[in-house]
Amino acid sequence: MKFKVPIFDVKNLNFIVRGQTILQDISFKIFEGEYIAIIGPNGGGKTTLIRMLLGLQQPTSGEIKIFGKKLKEFKEWYKIGYVPQRATLVDENFPATVEDIVKMGRIAKRGILAGISKEDKEMVEDAMIKMDILNLRDKMVGTLSGGQRQRVMIARALASCPKILILDEPNTGVDMVSQQRFYTLLAKLNKEENITILFITHDIGVIADDIGRLFTINQKATICNDPKKMLSCEEVSDLYGIDAHALHHHKHEH
Amino acid sequence: MFEMFEYDFMQRAFVAGLFIAVLASISGNFVVLRRYSLMSETLAHSALVGVAVGLVAGYNPLWVAVGVAIASAWLIEYLRSAFSLYSDAILAIILSGSLAIAVIIVSLGGAFNNSLFSYLFGSILSVTNEDVMTIVTVGSLSLLFLLLFSKELYFIAYDEEVAKTSGIKVKFLNFLLVTVVAVIIALSIRVVGSLLIGALMVIPTVAALQYRVGFRSTMLISLFFALFSVIFGMSLSYYYSLPSGATIVLSIIVIFIISLIVNKK
Repeated sequence: MKFKVPIFDVKNLNFIVRGQTILQDISFKIFEGEYIAIIGPNGGGKTTLIRMLLGLQQPTSGEIKIFGKKLKEFKEWYKIGYVPQRATLVDENFPATVEDIVKMGRIAKRGILAGISKEDKEMVEDAMIKMDILNLRDKMVGTLSGGQRQRVMIARALASCPKILILDEPNTGVDMVSQQRFYTLLAKLNKEENITILFITHDIGVIADDIGRLFTINQKATICNDPKKMLSCEEVSDLYGIDAHALHHHKHEH
Repeated sequence: MFEMFEYDFMQRAFVAGLFIAVLASISGNFVVLRRYSLMSETLAHSALVGVAVGLVAGYNPLWVAVGVAIASAWLIEYLRSAFSLYSDAILAIILSGSLAIAVIIVSLGGAFNNSLFSYLFGSILSVTNEDVMTIVTVGSLSLLFLLLFSKELYFIAYDEEVAKTSGIKVKFLNFLLVTVVAVIIALSIRVVGSLLIGALMVIPTVAALQYRVGFRSTMLISLFFALFSVIFGMSLSYYYSLPSGATIVLSIIVIFIISLIVNKK
């Protein structure tokens, strides 16, 4: 069965800061091979939820299990590839080639005293091939376009051979053509590599064709197993509090 | 030129100086990329408190400086994590506070003399055999740590949060980095002086960054710049009887200006 192994098991998650409820009673499970998008208004708690899944923030109450283990007991972080929101907004002066960045994906997995093994080199090269950046390997990352940087950051996440990729608004600072290419790549990783995808987006029209489930987060969570139905304008308007028109991009026509 | 090596004190000064150039430039890469530049300056001033205590109490100032610099580094890290204070404000408070404490200790102890001057600005005459041994042994351990964890420290410098989510012990390594930087700074004040060591740590890396190359190359360029400025600066110090710290730092600043002009966009 495709959806057998639970990656995240979240139960009754609450997060309250200075008396203000950010997340309320969130519960869900994410299984291997899923392709899930998270949408919701700014300040609705999307990024907070992701940060909690990654152990960067502690919930006020509730429980998070990763691969069946409590968050504090979980050690195999290389199984999770994370691309943060500001990933493409790199410091242009930082001394790093594309290959330097992608190699970072192997550091935690190989341990302190270990040098770069043959497997490390292969995984780094493989990740660059998948993201179509092999020709950029010696380029300084600060000189790349937004779309190229985005692929570098995903290649870094892929280099550790993750079971799940978590991306927080990965299209920030990326042009339209690169965005389309990015969604095609995500779908390919999910279908061909069986990598679970969880990502936050505002591109609610573009995602409908590929995703399996849609989480809408606005303090509370609504989980929809039929994203196309969910993305009717009325639903989106309720979520964002404005008149919304979901534009369905048909990528195959491009 | 090589006549200066006929003197024992110059041999000692060069061994200590070259070793410090390696330590300062390698650690400087992480200091600059982690945005800790002002921290090196602050720890250098804290080390001065150790020097003052050592001079007044009759202990080896170098060892006391190492202890006080480490304590100061830990205090900064604690204040950063435990209170919602601006990092640069914490550094400014500790920097000026350390200098004030050092001056009071030295004044009360009546030790405001040439000995203190040499710790402020560096002196090639004052490097003893014991200093060289301390710099080489403790410095080697510091260098070993930096090289052992260089990949992890580089990753943390690039993106601390992503490094943390990859399973890297970010808090522990940050703690160790500031400890090692504190040790290196305290070791360096004999040759470069507490008021100038921050420059030897930061400027070679900033100059190397102008060449816009990968991390390994940046580290090697900064190492070369630091070694060159120490050799050139100490030679100037010998021939013109100037404080070694000042001549070393001016040498590296000239290199920085040249790097800036050569690599202008």
